[in-house]
Amino acid sequence: MAAWFSKVFDKEEKEAPTDAGKTSTVEKTEEVVIPKTRRVVQAPVVVDESAQSAYSDDVAIKAKVNDQGDLIVFMVDRPLLEGRSFWCPDVETAQKTSPMATAIFNVEGVKSVLIHGMNITVGRDQWTTSTWGEQCKEIGTEIRAQIKSGMPVVAPECMDSLPDTETIRAGLQKVIDEQLNPGIASHGGIITLNRVEGNTAYITMGGGCQGCAASSITLRQGVETSFREAVPEVGAILDETDHNAGSNPFFNELPAGM
Amino acid sequence: MPKLDTFTLKIKTGERGRTSPLKYTINGFKLDFEPELGNTEPEGEVIVSGDPMSFPHTFLLIGPEDGEEPWDIAGIEALYNCADEEPYTIHMGAVTLEDDADLNIWHDRPTQIFDV
Repeated sequence: MAAWFSKVFDKEEKEAPTDAGKTSTVEKTEEVVIPKTRRVVQAPVVVDESAQSAYSDDVAIKAKVNDQGDLIVFMVDRPLLEGRSFWCPDVETAQKTSPMATAIFNVEGVKSVLIHGMNITVGRDQWTTSTWGEQCKEIGTEIRAQIKSGMPVVAPECMDSLPDTETIRAGLQKVIDEQLNPGIASHGGIITLNRVEGNTAYITMGGGCQGCAASSITLRQGVETSFREAVPEVGAILDETDHNAGSNPFFNELPAGM
Repeated sequence: MPKLDTFTLKIKTGERGRTSPLKYTINGFKLDFEPELGNTEPEGEVIVSGDPMSFPHTFLLIGPEDGEEPWDIAGIEALYNCADEEPYTIHMGAVTLEDDADLNIWHDRPTQIFDV
């Protein structure tokens, strides 16, 4: 950048002969070529179909560990909860509300359980001595046994007692307006609550959050924590942001050519 | 982020091809590919490779330069050979590069999914 900037403002002085054989100083400015701004595009990544769960008479379960290694997502080949999601932060809550969550909490090192659609997301205790490979097998066995038992995933009276969608939406919007957005405004970020379906919240992280390498930390330690403190009945909190399209993230990658 | 030792791209071209030589940038440095096999004519296929031996913070396939025709890419199969890791492959789908666009060709190893 400094090279072409200097071409604009620095005038080159050059000595040229005159008719009288003397020399004089003339000013010459080079033609400025400003490089055209280029953009980076993404091609869709094609997922290997063989990695997807295939329905069979048995309960097929696949597990996936996140990059940080503190969450395991179990994808089951059938719906677990229709229309609602269920968040369980501890074993005491699980014992009162959900046979499925109670069974999962029996496995060592489980910190939280989130049941949503066909997925169960299990938070791992960072101090556990179990490897995630061991946990995956044990939790998978518990999930399979619970589904085969025919027991409800969550007690019906618990699901019936959840507040209505509008009450949840209003509570979450208040958190965004009064706590989250004022806090992340200094980074140029903004959180938008797109909609609430049942008790599942869909958000977008815009401005400096879009494409930011720390957005997942903001989501889990900021947004999720605040949401669950204010509205404990909220279930899954899903980020709908296209982080690949971020144009001004706080932690940006180097643009091409820089 | 792993250190990318070598890579190979198999690029399938769609309806609109490309005539200018292919180049890539890694962390802002523009480099030539190793000798190409094949071509980027319409419906053609080319295999290019490189040995950046570097950590790919930005890793881009440079698109058509200013004024050139758009390039239709039908798909890319990318093989990454990183230090101290098993090689892995990523399949990318169709994308069109206009004369102001470069394509991100760095993708982390896919998250492992397994039966439990």
